[in-house]
Amino acid sequence: MKFGKIMMNGIFKENPTFRLLIGMCPTLAVTTAAINGLGMGLSTAAVLIGSNAVIALLKDVIPSKIRIPAFVVVIASFVTILGMLLKAYVPALDKSLGLFIPLIVVNCIILARAESFASKNGVISSIADGLGMGLGFTLALTILASIRELLGAGSIFAISIMGSAYEPAIIMILPPGAFLTLGLLLGLINKLTEKTQ
Amino acid sequence: MREIIKLAGILFAITAIAGVLLGLTNMATADKIEQQLIQENINARKAVLPQATEFKKVEDEELDSIVQKDFQMIEEIYEGINEGELIGYTFKTTPSGYGGQIVVNVGISLDGTVSGINIVSHTETPGLGAKATEESYQDQYKEKSIDSPLEVVKSTPSGENEIQAIAGATVTSNGVTDGVNIAIDLFNQYLK
Amino acid sequence: MKDNELFLTASSSPHIRTKEDVGVIMRDVVIALVPAFGCALYFFGINALILVTSSVLSAVIAEGLIQKLTKKPITINDWSAVVTGLLLAFNLPPSAPWWLAVIGSAFAILIVKHTFGGIGQNFMNPALAARAFLLASWPTKMTAGFVLPRTLDGVSSSTPLAMLYAADATATATAEASATLTAVDLPSYMDLFLGNVAGVIGETSAIALLIGFAYLLYRGVISWRIPVIYIGVVGLMTFVFGANGLFTGNGIYHILSGGLMLGAIFMATDYSSSPVTPRGQIIFALGCGILTSVIRLWGGYPEGVSYSILLMNVAAPLIDKYTIPKIYGEVKANA
Repeated sequence: MKFGKIMMNGIFKENPTFRLLIGMCPTLAVTTAAINGLGMGLSTAAVLIGSNAVIALLKDVIPSKIRIPAFVVVIASFVTILGMLLKAYVPALDKSLGLFIPLIVVNCIILARAESFASKNGVISSIADGLGMGLGFTLALTILASIRELLGAGSIFAISIMGSAYEPAIIMILPPGAFLTLGLLLGLINKLTEKTQ
Repeated sequence: MREIIKLAGILFAITAIAGVLLGLTNMATADKIEQQLIQENINARKAVLPQATEFKKVEDEELDSIVQKDFQMIEEIYEGINEGELIGYTFKTTPSGYGGQIVVNVGISLDGTVSGINIVSHTETPGLGAKATEESYQDQYKEKSIDSPLEVVKSTPSGENEIQAIAGATVTSNGVTDGVNIAIDLFNQYLK
Repeated sequence: MKDNELFLTASSSPHIRTKEDVGVIMRDVVIALVPAFGCALYFFGINALILVTSSVLSAVIAEGLIQKLTKKPITINDWSAVVTGLLLAFNLPPSAPWWLAVIGSAFAILIVKHTFGGIGQNFMNPALAARAFLLASWPTKMTAGFVLPRTLDGVSSSTPLAMLYAADATATATAEASATLTAVDLPSYMDLFLGNVAGVIGETSAIALLIGFAYLLYRGVISWRIPVIYIGVVGLMTFVFGANGLFTGNGIYHILSGGLMLGAIFMATDYSSSPVTPRGQIIFALGCGILTSVIRLWGGYPEGVSYSILLMNVAAPLIDKYTIPKIYGEVKANA
């Protein structure tokens, strides 16, 4: 498979959020503002690219019996490094994402891609897969977060859109708003893609 | 047996490399992170006592035991100093709000007024209690006299020591005000 | 004997059919809500009219629109959207803006009712779920804006339950409990009974809601079980666990104030979101009553009717599962 094709697969056809429905915990929890969705998505993408590349590189060295602990060590290292870098250089983002940065370790997208893709494919393909899946996740989170921020706070990326007369529906930036938005979005996407498949 | 040793060896190698990488990153970022934290705390204290140029933690065993006994809501006390002269104190208090603990920094100036307050962290409801972090709310506390405890009212304040509650979030407003009042109380009794 | 004279037809259940359809039942519910609507108009005037009109219109239009879009038969003539719109409007404070009613009704119909398959498929009462949605979205608009009835410009006031809640809070905080309770001038029983108190527009008048209840019972639309047990449990629990010790509470006050009557008579009895068997309905009503009392007495809100009913709505399928009678002759799967 070609690099671009693998990447596009992650963004659209097998979008982790809208198609595979994995990694739901951060998807629902951090998407209260567009910037958080983007930040979480990019952080996950960075970890995913790194872990996919390393695991593809080491796939012949790691015996299959200990592959899961080995994958987890690789993923956890990337997440911890990312966490320290964010704390040091982007403290504001680190504060708003809080606990969800360390929790990237247990985001099943990452282990799932390591297990089902990186451990069976070459380094370049795995990087393409990590990039595609990461961007797909970022795209989904940013869309979700933008809708929630728009309705729940009247702005997108903290830029006021709805004007001062708009009374924000606070529920949209509370947990129920995440479920409502995700459910309706999934329904809409299924409806729109019904015919093409 | 041979296989187990081999597996353990490989896993050890992977973890060892990961450990070294983590150690290196930590070395590179630790100072920066610590500076961020220190700067953040200084900024938080400066926000509530702007006149001070440096802050010194109050370390007085007698006061510590009093705080531990009667003022458990107070976590830290700093002296605010300007050109070597003591001009006020900042208090880190932890009153309860609607969604849990609110961490409030309170500054009290030696001239007998509240110099400012600042919400450090909270878990209040967005759009309601979370409005306590807005300046328009926090500014209400500025320059309030510490002669009497502050009171939360629901309508436009009429008295000198009244704070207007955030609409729909009386519990949060009461919580924040509790934090300020306990700082005032301690100041009046022991630091004046 | 001709074929069509056979009165035994072989088909799957139900075998006994009535001429009543959804439309007849829902029309009866609307008729039963008329007295409460009258009281709302009398006590809260033009605002109540605006809220009810915009809410009902929005519900009916939303229903027609979604059915047209999804190419389903349009059933706006069966009165069910009208009931939802009315109930939602009855749950709004008198000075709520009209758009709150419009959004609430649209949410009730589009999200709560139709995303789950339309009438009979909703697992929660649409009006109540929409109220919860509005409360979480615009809490200041939904919890403030209570006014005294029959005041032209709307003199703002707390609801009786909010007063009682505040009074209880001070009562438990201070030693002079009884003194503080009388210090707060709570509305009289008569005012509560007639509806001459602050509250959401459809809940204030106990008498109007009871007239509607009597009509529904007479028409056989609902059974007495859920409303009577629900209200009874709240009365008993609030009496037993009073602020000043056991058996000192004011149960009658709790029964008459807040949304209890409205909720117990018109919302907890919703067919599709409450259990079907008598035994199930009793359990459902007990659950509603206990939850409401717990929220009112020890919770963070003065009122707990809507959340209690919603929680029990969600539990209804489970209650049904354990209370549906065994089919005769059926053998346990793992016996």
